[in-house]
Amino acid sequence: MSDISSVLLIGGAGFLGLHLVQQFSEVKPTPKISVFDVRPLPEKLSKQFSFDPSSIGFFKGDLTSAEDLEKAIKESGCNVVVHSASPMHGNSQEVYELVNVKGTRNIIDVSKKCGVKALVYTSSAGVIFNGQDVHNADESWPIPEIPMDGYNETKAIAEDMVLKANDPENGFVTIALRPAGIFGPGDRQLVPGLRAVAKLGQSKFQIGDNNNLFDWTYAGNVADSHVLGAQKLLDPATSDSVSGETFFITNDTPTYFWALARTVWKADGHVDKRVIVLKRPVAILAGYLSEFFSKLSGKEPGLTPFRVKIVCAYRYHNISKAKKLLGYSPQVDIEEGIRRTLAWMDEKLD
Amino acid sequence: MGSLTQLLQHPLELKSALVLKYYREPLFPGEESKIANSKDLKRCYELLKLTSRSFAAVIQELNPELRDAIMIFYLVLRALDTIEDDMTINPSVKVKLLNEFDEKLDLDDWSFDGNGPNEKDRDVLVDFPYILREYHNLKPEYQKVIKEITRKMGQGMVNYVLDESFNLNGVETIKDYDLYCHYVAGLVGDGLTQLIVLAGFGDENLYEASGDRELYESMGLFLQKTNIIRDYAEDLEDGRSFWPKEIWSLYVEKLPDLQKDKSNGLRCINHLVLNALTHVNDVLTYLASINEQSTFQFCSIPQVMAIATLSLLFNNEKVLVENVKIRKGETCYLILKSRTLKGCVEIFQYYLREIKSKLMVEDPNYLPLNIQIAKIEQFMEEMYQDKLPAGVRPNETEIYLKTQERTKSDEKMAITFKMEENNFLMVVSYFGIAVLAIAYYTLFFNK
Repeated sequence: MSDISSVLLIGGAGFLGLHLVQQFSEVKPTPKISVFDVRPLPEKLSKQFSFDPSSIGFFKGDLTSAEDLEKAIKESGCNVVVHSASPMHGNSQEVYELVNVKGTRNIIDVSKKCGVKALVYTSSAGVIFNGQDVHNADESWPIPEIPMDGYNETKAIAEDMVLKANDPENGFVTIALRPAGIFGPGDRQLVPGLRAVAKLGQSKFQIGDNNNLFDWTYAGNVADSHVLGAQKLLDPATSDSVSGETFFITNDTPTYFWALARTVWKADGHVDKRVIVLKRPVAILAGYLSEFFSKLSGKEPGLTPFRVKIVCAYRYHNISKAKKLLGYSPQVDIEEGIRRTLAWMDEKLD
Repeated sequence: MGSLTQLLQHPLELKSALVLKYYREPLFPGEESKIANSKDLKRCYELLKLTSRSFAAVIQELNPELRDAIMIFYLVLRALDTIEDDMTINPSVKVKLLNEFDEKLDLDDWSFDGNGPNEKDRDVLVDFPYILREYHNLKPEYQKVIKEITRKMGQGMVNYVLDESFNLNGVETIKDYDLYCHYVAGLVGDGLTQLIVLAGFGDENLYEASGDRELYESMGLFLQKTNIIRDYAEDLEDGRSFWPKEIWSLYVEKLPDLQKDKSNGLRCINHLVLNALTHVNDVLTYLASINEQSTFQFCSIPQVMAIATLSLLFNNEKVLVENVKIRKGETCYLILKSRTLKGCVEIFQYYLREIKSKLMVEDPNYLPLNIQIAKIEQFMEEMYQDKLPAGVRPNETEIYLKTQERTKSDEKMAITFKMEENNFLMVVSYFGIAVLAIAYYTLFFNK
């Protein structure tokens, strides 16, 4: 039996979660889909989604509670659990620990106990990032000993737990997917952040030489990779080659950081005639100054040395492994993805 | 601007021009006398120089194993081209000649005096017996390759001579564009690659199909497309055009309108450059597969010229009205630098970044161009994999292994470079001392 009969999407009401619902609902034969989340599914769905919300099972619960989870797994009768719940960047270390570490531990234990066959975990490409440039990284790159920040540290711990829980002999298989730079309808960070920058009139500034490559990944494509991961885990012919493995997931088109930003601004009808380039060292210095003065004035600094380093870094990945073993290929290209994201933003659902 | 003024403004290019002319170490010294001693061979090389100066220089540098074969190959195709190009030849005569041209290679004596008096390369056909004699001196397997490609190209030309729509409207689709380039350049790459593999100078799998198209096809197409983009104005004046309608019709209704509508003209040029750039990864793979040094240079020089030219054509409205060319000194610099694979990769990266810096956000292909250039940079990264963190082993992909192998030849070349550099610096310092001495003399003894 290798079909996904019923899937439980933990964090399924979130940004990536809704894309997961969409992509799983397009699988033939259509599996039973249930969502487990602290928040309900949105009342009004973006036009970018076509699934019928009334056909989706919903379990409200806390992912650190064994009781809540057990109830959802049993009632949904799922053979696949997808864990894509993740706190937003900028939360406290406590929240990261709670959701990423404690929550993941709980999901593994309860899934195993309830006889779930496969667990698909949404990790992050950030787990290998230590502030140094990442050039065409594949899965053989190590997790840094000194983590970049609490978020990436706890994601890496959770990923490790998921991989170690892989136990084919006892019928429980796991996989970890590491998407890089997710964007799409429902995105709260990448595209809305860029739109905000343009609104402030700051889009005419460019930090760095713009030779650094970056991966952006459309959320629908990330969701596709989860469907493929679940299918390959359940299929006896492929299960051994993918279980206990990690996979980078991108749009397979690394692009220069500012080219992506300017494409978003252009799609939004905003083209800067002249661009002012701030070289990296200058920008870092400006970042320190901005931080210093904002401490004096008590305002949030616009530019920080950390942000400068982030936008000047190379961070792109080699997804040969996902293409080969998962049969993954991005179905929505960047330009189309940006178009859909802006269309969703213009719906102004909130 | 005179080329001397240009050279003085670009000191690195001046240095390259001097090194190239006076200090470059020849790969096969002493070959010139062999040519001079054979009457037939001598005439063939004269004909070669007559038709293409730059090409003659590159061919003469080749390993003696392949040099004459490639020279004859070039002259035979040039002869074919001279028939096809000549509008004074009666079409039915032309078609018959093109169709049967490969059979002439079996004859001991054949020549053709039917070209118009103004045809600049008519001597190649008048003196064809010289070429035939040398052709028959080649190894039989080399003769076979030359004959096969001559047949295919002749037939391809006939198709275009008879194709009324092509003659009236030019190239329709991108597929037609690729096919046209295949006949005029892809086939040349085909033949050359067969010769290179037969001589044992490149990977055996160079001649195998890999992916969507053969690597050698991309070698030809990249060069041809660059020429086609560059020659827009000149071709238009001659009443022909090779830009595919599928692309230019996105920007204007009639091809000549691009000259008036500059901003759409630029978009169209840039779109064609994007199309040409899709061949670059194949080109780099091909170059990494060549292990013999003179063959490597023979292959790499035209390719680096092409990327330099593309970068000059990109977003350049002069292309719409005149024939734009790269500087002479730039050419010298590229010839010297393209002798190693690493040098070629650096040249490509440099010009790709130039292209990127000229790209405007308003361009409809802004993101696709960025993505294509990034794709090439990612590929370059895979070739060398020299930015891995400690403890991570390179992925032993085909291109990585090829690059490693080719890098060994690169390292041998490094010794030659040092020698040239030293010789050059020595003369520069002698020259410097002489200048100082004269200055000293003038200042202190003329008082």
